[in-house]
Amino acid sequence: MNRCETRDEHGYRVVTVAGEVDLSWSAEVRAAILAGLDAKQPVLVDLAAVSYIDSSGIASFVEGYQRARKERLQFGLVAVSAPVLAVLTLARLETVFPIHGDLAAARTAAPRAASA
Amino acid sequence: MHGLLGSEAAGGESRELFLLAELSQAFAQSLDLDETLRAAADHIIDFLDAEAASVFLLEGEELVCRASSGPSPIAGLRIPRTAGIVGKTLAEGGWKMVRDVNADPDFYAKVDTETKFVTRSIMCITLQAGDKRFGVLEVLNKRDGTGLFSDQDLQVLRVLGTAVSLAIRNAQMAVELMTQNRMKRELDLARELQQQLLPKPRQQPFPLAGINLPAREVSGDFYDYFEVEGGRLGFTIGDVSGKGLNAALLMVRTTSLLRCLGRAGLPLPRLLARVNAELCETATRGMFVCVFAGLFDPRTARLTWANAGFPPGLYRTAGGRYQRLKADAPPLGINTDTQFHEHHLHVGDGALYLCTDGVTEAHDADGKPLDEAGLRRLIEQHAALTPGPRLTALVQSLRDLSRKDDTTLLVLEGREQAGERLMDLHLPAQPESLRRVREAVAASLRKAGCSPAVVDRLVLALDEACANVIRHGYRGTQGLMDLVLERRGESLVFLLRDYAEAVTPARLKPRRPSRSRIGGLGLHFIDTIMDHWEHRKPADGRGNLLVMSKKIG
Repeated sequence: MNRCETRDEHGYRVVTVAGEVDLSWSAEVRAAILAGLDAKQPVLVDLAAVSYIDSSGIASFVEGYQRARKERLQFGLVAVSAPVLAVLTLARLETVFPIHGDLAAARTAAPRAASA
Repeated sequence: MHGLLGSEAAGGESRELFLLAELSQAFAQSLDLDETLRAAADHIIDFLDAEAASVFLLEGEELVCRASSGPSPIAGLRIPRTAGIVGKTLAEGGWKMVRDVNADPDFYAKVDTETKFVTRSIMCITLQAGDKRFGVLEVLNKRDGTGLFSDQDLQVLRVLGTAVSLAIRNAQMAVELMTQNRMKRELDLARELQQQLLPKPRQQPFPLAGINLPAREVSGDFYDYFEVEGGRLGFTIGDVSGKGLNAALLMVRTTSLLRCLGRAGLPLPRLLARVNAELCETATRGMFVCVFAGLFDPRTARLTWANAGFPPGLYRTAGGRYQRLKADAPPLGINTDTQFHEHHLHVGDGALYLCTDGVTEAHDADGKPLDEAGLRRLIEQHAALTPGPRLTALVQSLRDLSRKDDTTLLVLEGREQAGERLMDLHLPAQPESLRRVREAVAASLRKAGCSPAVVDRLVLALDEACANVIRHGYRGTQGLMDLVLERRGESLVFLLRDYAEAVTPARLKPRRPSRSRIGGLGLHFIDTIMDHWEHRKPADGRGNLLVMSKKIG
């Protein structure tokens, strides 16, 4: 049930994650996020179906966020599930990442690239 | 004897030697003084052909006849120490010979009057050891015609006097030795009784453990613990001024009072005031008692304590910080007006070490005193051990030191007692194990009655701890990890053991996450979620032990 799928939509790289994100495969999530940014695409990570996430998963978001800032690209978390939000809150990062209710909201909330 | 003495041909000097040998042997074989002296008196009248012989020993102001041989035995007779020729001999030392008593003004005729014995001639010799005169050997009346003693008889008596003196001295020393042995046996018994007063070690888990190593047969130190109403535990440790039997008796009295009144749940200031009043009234010769008393609630790990003149208690937090619990009142038994105060301490997962002076005044092999810093070093040395083995190791270290004073140690452990085991997991240290860790921990926590929110957070903390072992402990190499969950009172305790290279504790720093930093986030979760966590060296010295605890319910 652990899943990490990537699709391009409206000029965004959408990374959809599902299941329990832990050390055993969080590297996959990280790679998917960084691949989007490497391709100079804004990245939105859909977390609606994530039932668990650990610090290694959170770390991949932090890394994505940092890379995006450097590349002046948009990076955001979408449809953050309650378990993920709890962990983000615990990490005191809930106000650091842009968090959007759904993909449409993410697209209107901010320009695709920070520079634009 | 008679056979030997019968050979007149052997000559006078040889006969004396034979007698001396016989007497010496008799003296050496017997430790019963009166029996030995009576045998000596018998031999002497035979040898000197005298009618009677008596041995007088000094007892206070009297000379007492301890042995007598002849027609009118006078054993048991008491005369003033200055009376008669016997008394004069003792007073002047050396010897006296009175050939005709009727012509001697010193003659004490009273004895003859009472015994119907007619004394004609007397030889007396002082019995002494070194300069100390302790009696007189007296010989009466030569049997042959004249009834008078010769100069040669006197020479013989002088030799015999020395032998008898030595025999008496030996016998007295034997008696002293026996008295000493008896006293030693009684002290051994006292020690046994005193040790029986100390509380018996309890079935684990129990938060208190103590040890008393007396410097002598009996000790002036004590420790005690007992149940107090309301589920609390009372404990005391103390040190009576002085040593030996007096101190031991005062110790017995104090510990009995403290236990009796402490069990009733008296608040500590009142408890100490009552015992103080009692001791002030009865303690003798300026003796006093230093006491540390405590009331501990194992459910909350809270301690109430009071210190009257006792060395500072050393409280060590699980993280290795120290706090000194100092005396704020003088010892018990000095001043009836003394006010005592109580203080509170949350012991948590820490431990309290209470030691009498004997511990810090002990000396190491180089003759240096242990002092408080040394004691802390000892505690640190064994800090990684679990409570039971830790006390044993501490005591062993103390035994190795040279101790002049009684040594007593009482340790109070917060919650580090073995608890109810809720989970025991052994897994390969690899990322694929984490899911099983989460499932097992969640199931155990739900069973333990934790709310879903608490379960989620603790699962995260445990996952992070295991992930750390995998990533930073084994670093991709193969290995095992053991995860144990215990309930200790109101706390859940998680023990995560690995067998990887030992981690430097300084490396274990939780970092507040930030936009720019990623590392340390897992540890930050553990630090935030758990009430307490610490890294320890396992008792067997291999790998790492992470101990985490969380209060629930």
